[in-house]
Order: sequence, then structure tokens, then C-alpha cells
Amino acid sequence: MLTVQSLTKTFSTDDAEVRAVDDLSFDVRPGEVYGLLGPNGAGKTTTLRMVLGLLEPDDGFAEVDGVRTKTDPIGVKSRLGFVSASDGVYPWLSVREMLLYFGDLYGVEPSVAAQRCENLAKLMDIESFLDRRAGTLSTGQRQRVTLVRGLIHDPPVMLLDEPTRGLDVVGVQTIFDYIEHLRDVGKAVIVCTHRLDEAQRLCDRFGLLHRGKLRHTGTMPDLKAATGREHLVEMFIDLMKENA
Amino acid sequence: MRLWRLSHKELKETSRDRRTIITLLMMPLLVYPLLSMAMNRYLLTSDAETVPYKIGVENEADGQWVQNIIESPDSLPPQEVLESAGGQLAEFQLFNTSETLDGKPVSAADSILQGNIDVGIVSEGSPKSYRLYAFRGDLRSQGARRIFVERLKWYQLSQLEKSAPQVSAPKIEIVDTGQEQNEPILATIVPLVLVLMTITGAVYPAIDLTAGERERGTMEALMASPVPRFQVLLAKYFAVVVIAMLTAVANLAAMFTTLWLGGLLPLLTGGDAFPWLQVLQILGLLVLFSGFFSAVLLSLTSFARSFKEAQAYLIPVMLLSLAPGMLSLLPGVKLSGPLAVAPLINIVMLAREVLSGTVVPAAATIAIISTIGYAAAALSIAAHLFGSDAVTRTSDQSFASLLKRPQRVTAVPTPQTAAMVLALLVPIYFVCSNLLMKYLSGMRSVMLGDLDDLPLDAAAALQSRSMWLSATTLILVFGCIPLVATWLGRSRMLSTYRIVKPGLLAIIGATIVGLGAWAIAHEAFVIADALGIGGLSEKRIADTQKMIKAWQVIPPWVLLLTLAVTPAIIEELCFRGFLFSAILRVMSPTRTILLTSFLFGLFHVLTGNALLVERFIPTFLLGMILGVIAYRTGSVIPGMAMHFVHNGLLEMVGHYHEQLEFLGADFDNQTHLPPYWIAIATTIAVVGMAVVWFADGRRKQAAA
Repeated sequence: MLTVQSLTKTFSTDDAEVRAVDDLSFDVRPGEVYGLLGPNGAGKTTTLRMVLGLLEPDDGFAEVDGVRTKTDPIGVKSRLGFVSASDGVYPWLSVREMLLYFGDLYGVEPSVAAQRCENLAKLMDIESFLDRRAGTLSTGQRQRVTLVRGLIHDPPVMLLDEPTRGLDVVGVQTIFDYIEHLRDVGKAVIVCTHRLDEAQRLCDRFGLLHRGKLRHTGTMPDLKAATGREHLVEMFIDLMKENA
Repeated sequence: MRLWRLSHKELKETSRDRRTIITLLMMPLLVYPLLSMAMNRYLLTSDAETVPYKIGVENEADGQWVQNIIESPDSLPPQEVLESAGGQLAEFQLFNTSETLDGKPVSAADSILQGNIDVGIVSEGSPKSYRLYAFRGDLRSQGARRIFVERLKWYQLSQLEKSAPQVSAPKIEIVDTGQEQNEPILATIVPLVLVLMTITGAVYPAIDLTAGERERGTMEALMASPVPRFQVLLAKYFAVVVIAMLTAVANLAAMFTTLWLGGLLPLLTGGDAFPWLQVLQILGLLVLFSGFFSAVLLSLTSFARSFKEAQAYLIPVMLLSLAPGMLSLLPGVKLSGPLAVAPLINIVMLAREVLSGTVVPAAATIAIISTIGYAAAALSIAAHLFGSDAVTRTSDQSFASLLKRPQRVTAVPTPQTAAMVLALLVPIYFVCSNLLMKYLSGMRSVMLGDLDDLPLDAAAALQSRSMWLSATTLILVFGCIPLVATWLGRSRMLSTYRIVKPGLLAIIGATIVGLGAWAIAHEAFVIADALGIGGLSEKRIADTQKMIKAWQVIPPWVLLLTLAVTPAIIEELCFRGFLFSAILRVMSPTRTILLTSFLFGLFHVLTGNALLVERFIPTFLLGMILGVIAYRTGSVIPGMAMHFVHNGLLEMVGHYHEQLEFLGADFDNQTHLPPYWIAIATTIAVVGMAVVWFADGRRKQAAA
């Protein structure tokens, strides 16, 4: 469903070149939740941004449904859903107006978008404030609106960037339910996070990213066999020691 | 349709914002009544009553007569009249215009024209009669004369009351002098108001819809959506233009209403009737001002990361914009020459000239086209910068990055690059061709003036010099600017310029089209003339005939090299190469052909200060034929062949004019060709097109 092949990105600062992502390859199948894990600065967000077509890779490509970022970036974007912890809302639009606006951006027929908006509103329990101004919503309500926004065009692949950052227990549970729903409806999901404990509960497969390189990849049993460690946290501490 | 929906969302979002409403409604509601009160006060307290009026006479005797009147208590109006006029008595100063510092006497009438005195009084004959001069249409001068005549009448009345029949009332004649200042105050104030108000209206939505996206955290989601950045920005642009226009309309409405209520409107418009025409003109100008400022502001705010940063960028721009606005207050500045393409200055001058009814259509067209170009360039900069920073904290996008070459080679330039190139081409070509005209002082006559009067050899020398310089300009402007853009954008030369080796048949076909197309172009030219488009004056026809005579003397190779080879190569590379490939990225082939033909026609119209409107239809048609050939063959080369044959044939017909007379056709520019000629030429062109079509089909089959 989603294939990432040899993605590479180097940023140049005034005095040095930083290889943020280095020859990264992995794939995610439908109905699978893939955890792209790593500490801050590991290259998770840069990878997501290249997949989303927001950044141009120096080398490599991402492919969704056989469409590549290199040849058809717009085609790739329309097949991806994206939700980030730092997502905001348009304070002066109503929730419905904002959702329909994003439907429009993704080229969804207005009538289809309206129907989908109703269905998702029921699912994510945002019906009661669909016609309220988004600026008046609480943090939890905003988060749910954002999650619906990411699904308005029914993409086959979902990208979640640090989805639980800054959320309370209820908020985190909402995210868990949401990801469960995505798995059920057969979406290929990538979750980028540095919350390793949560990732271990959520994801089917993992990619352990450190300093732009994918150090280990596979299911939990695969990782355990490869590293000889029980928990993701321990595996990371080992990795960081190696490079210290 | 989607663009409209996207714009609608932007408009909805920004118009619900309290801050937009404040600029939109509160400002005009508060500012103008205050301004009007201040103005009323100023008008009542200043001017007339405090600064003495200057009366000029030409000799001592007249001076004595005037002095007697204004110093005599008999000339004072009765107490009640004086009180009803505010209780203040106008003061007069007396000058003898024959006594000047440089010893040269000046007549009272001339002294008024020079602005040295307000009223001139000259006596004549015996018994004396007096002529009272005032400046036509000048409020102060007319007012001064009116007051003087009133004082004179009071004086005469009291003399009569004292029954002094020996003082017979002299004859008074009222004379106006000078050209009426038909530039109403409206024409000087409105451009400034337009600058101030469209910029005020555009500032907040421009910041809110660009830098605001970053602050709200919606930028990343927006950029991740599959809508081209340019389209997102265009939707925002329309919203900003609408808000800027609404703000300006609200301000102008408030201004007009306040002035009308305060009875000051006639002062501004120079007439009593409500200025409906000016209101319509102002609405048209509004579109231009809002379109320009919205694009410029968006290009700056797209770069800003926050509201504060955006405001820091915009304040200097707002202050800078006031300087050209002030230009409209200066008398004597005209919309012509380089000013017609100077950003902002040109539309300020345009507004002033439109409102005072002195606008020149050619200069206005150039000002409008170049402004559209600047707006397009600003928008393409905005599209380049917008969202780039949201992408990453380590992004290197900045204004400097506009000139940085991308790392990857691309096949063809982006439409934004094409827009930038076009925005540069208009003013640069305009300035270059103007310089060219200036340099060849006689050259102007080829287009407009009196080539007719020159001897043939001088005309030929001038003509050939101008041809060399035009060819050089063509290479420098239409050749080099797209070339630099191609290099900067790291686009592949061959694919950008569509330099593909064509089949031999395609070249033969295009050449045949060229043989026939000149007749079509000629007929289009004659029809355009008959419809009154451009309108060839007698003078122009005489010049054209002289030009054709000059062509007969100039060596054929010079004609071919400068007027056929150079345009064929450079214009094809620019219009059917660079622009064609960039536009084809985002438009259908039909639209691409139409747009490039339109631009091709447009650049043939903009020549120096003159607008050669009659050239539009023939060049547009030629552009269409060239566009179809370019698209069908996938190469720029067959078009070059056709362009060369077409131009070359026209020149050779001109050169061998006399030798061709036996053919029975007159090749000047205002008569139709004989019908059978048109039939033959059209058939040739159609056959040529068929060959091109067929050749390409064959080539495709061969490739398959």
C-alpha cells in the first residue's frame, strides 16, 4: 500500500551538513499500524514530510497505490490523510464549514463530503458541535475535529505525527480508539512518536529510527530476537549508547 | 468552480473576524466626519480673510483710483452685511506691475498668469473704463474680484447718496484670463485615498490568510492537501482583493456622504451635479489598486512566520506607498515615458488623469498591462514563499532563494517562472523600445511623424539603423530574459524551448503555410483598419509607403536578417518555446495556443509610446497558426521556418515592389488583395497545414 524507498534528505546549515534521513526504506500494508519510532531529532517528521510531498527528498521516493511522489506528488497527496499534534483549526469557521473546506481541498464532491462529515461526526462524537465556531472548542473537541478532518477524503493511508502529544488520558484513549478504527477499516497507518510505551500497545510493526537511519525493523518478536531486549525503551537506550 | 469555493471560504473566514470589520466599517465611520469637521474649520478660518488679496495695476493713476476705493469708509458694506459675512473685512494689497525688480514692466493680465497677483485692474480711454482681470476658475482670484466689485458698488452707492453727480460711475468690464484649472480637487485627492484605503483594507486579511495560517497551526494540513500552492494562494488573493475593495468603497462612500452633507462636494468635483461618472471611474480604478496592493502585500506576508513579523514588513511598504500617492498632488507630472511602467506611480497618475479627463489611452493601456504584470509577478513570488516555512524549521526558503537555482534539473519551467518572465518583459521591452525611439530621434517619424519629409536615402539609412537596433533589442529582451530564467530554474534547454528535430515533411508543410499565411495576415490587417481598429491616418499611410520605398534601397540580406531571421528564431523560442512549454504544464493545448497567441499579439501592439492596435488581429491569427504547428509537431523549428517565410516574403515583396507591379496587386496596407490572390494564398496555407498534420501523423506512426 505505502512503500518508502531509499529516502534521503540532507539539510545544510551555515557550517555543516546534517543528514536528517539516510537511505530509509520500509513499507506498510493495508490494515497495518506501523510505528516509526525514535527520539527527538531522529528524522521521523522529516520522513513524514517527504512522504507528504511537503519536502523534496534528495534521493529516493514514496509510493502509494503505485503512484510516486516524484512523478505525481498531487496524486500521492490525495491518497494520504495527515493528522499532527500541532494541528490547528480555523477559529472563525464552524466545524462543518472547516470539514467541508478540507473535503473541497481534496477534491471530494460536496454532497459526498457532507454525507461523510455526518458519518464521521457520529463516529467521533462531534455531532453536537458541528455548527459551532471552531474557535470556541475545548482542546479535546478540537483534537477530535482534527481526527475527522484527516479522514474526510477517505484516504487509504493515514499518517499520524505525535498524535498523543499534550493530551490527557481521555484524549490519548480517543487516539487509541481512532487508530483501532483505522485498522478495522483497512487503512495503512504510520504513527510517528517518541512515546515508546504507547507505541508498543498500538503498533503491529516498528521501525526504530536513530540519527536518520533505520536501525531495526519488524514486529515486536522480531525486535526482541534481534536486540535481546524485552522493551522498546531498552532497545533505544542501547542504540543511543552505541552512538554516544 | 473549486477556486470560487476556496475563495468563498477565505472570504467567510476573514470577514467574520472582528479585526476585519473594524478596518472595514469603523475607520470610515469615524475618520471622515472628523476629517470633514477639520476641513470645514480650515476653510472657514483660513485663506481668504487672513491673507490679503493682491491687486495689481499698471500705473499710478489706476493705483490711486483703487486705493481711494478700498481705503474709503464709503466702500465698506453696511454693518449688517458685514456681520452676516462673519464680521471680517477682506484686506487688499496694491501692487504696481510695471515696477518689477528686474526693471521689465509686466502687464496686469500677465501678472495674474504668473500667479503674482489675484486681481488685475487696467484703465482705458477717457472717460475711463476699467477692465478687471481674474484667473479663470481659480477660487481665490475670482473671490478677490467679487469682493472688490462689491466694495466698488458700495462706494458708488454712497457717492450717489451724497449726490455727487460729478463722480460719474466708470464703466467696468469683467475679464477672465488663463486656462481654467479643469483638474478638480477630486482628481488629486482620490488617488491618495485609493492608495491609503486599499492598502489599509488589504493589510489585515493579507496577514491573516497567510501568516495567520501558521499561527493557527493550519498551514501544514493545508500544504499537505493536493491543491497546487498557486491555487490556494489565488483563492486567498481574491478574498484579499474583495476585502480591500470593500474597505475602499466604504471609505469613499463615507467620504462622499460627509462631503455632501457638509456641502463641500462641489468644491471637490468642480460642479454642482453628483459626480456619477467619477464614481464609476473610481470603482474601476479600485479594482486596479486593490489587485496591485493585494498581490504585493501577499508576497510579503507569505514570507512572514507570524503576525508580528508580517506587520514589521508591511509598515515600511505602507509608508513607501505614500510617496507615489503624494505625486498625484504635484502639478505637471504626466503619465508618460518611464512613469507609465513605474509600479504604483503609474496607477496613481492614471487615476488622476482618468478623473480629470485628460487620460491618454495608449499610456493608460501600458499602465494597466504593466500593473497586471507586477501583480502576477508578486503572486508568483508569494506562491513560491507561501507555506515553504511551514514545511520545516530548517527550510532555506527566503527571498534570496528566489534567485537560487534548484538542485534538480526540470524538464520545463514552472508557470510561476513564466509569469515572472512576462512581468519583466512588459516594462523592460517598453523601456528599451522607448529608448530606441529616443535614440533615433528621426525613427519616431517612421511610426508617427514625418518620415515622409525626409529624402529617400536619409530615410533608408534611418530605416536600416532602426532595423538593426530593433533586432538587437529583440535578442536582448525576448532572447535573454527567458534564457536567464531557464538557467535560474535549472530547466533543460531542449525541452524548455521545445527544440526537437522535426520531420522534413513538417518543415516543408510549415514553409508552405508561411507562403500562404502572409495574405491572411494582410487581409486581417486591412479588415482591422476598415473596422476602425487603430485607424491608419493619411500621414501613417504616407509613412508606410515611404518605408516601403526605403526597403527597396536597403540590401535584401539586411532586411531578411533583421526582420525575418531574428524574429523567426527569437520570437518562436520565446513564445512557442519557453512560454508554450511552461503554460502547457497547467493548461489544455487549446488554451495554451490561445494564450500564447494573445501574448504574441499583445507584444506586437506595445511598441514604444504608440499602441499599434491594428497589429493585434493579424499577429494574433499568426500566433494561432504558429501555435497549432508548434503543438502538432512538438517542435519549435517548423514554426521558425513558417515565421521566416512569412516575414521574409513581406519584406521581399516590399523590396521588389516595382518589379512585382505586373502582378496587378497593390501591396500597401489599406487595400484588399484581388480575390483570386486570397483564394490562392488561402489554399496554399491550408495545403501547408494539411502537410504539417499529415507529417506529424506519419512521424507518430513511425515512432510507434
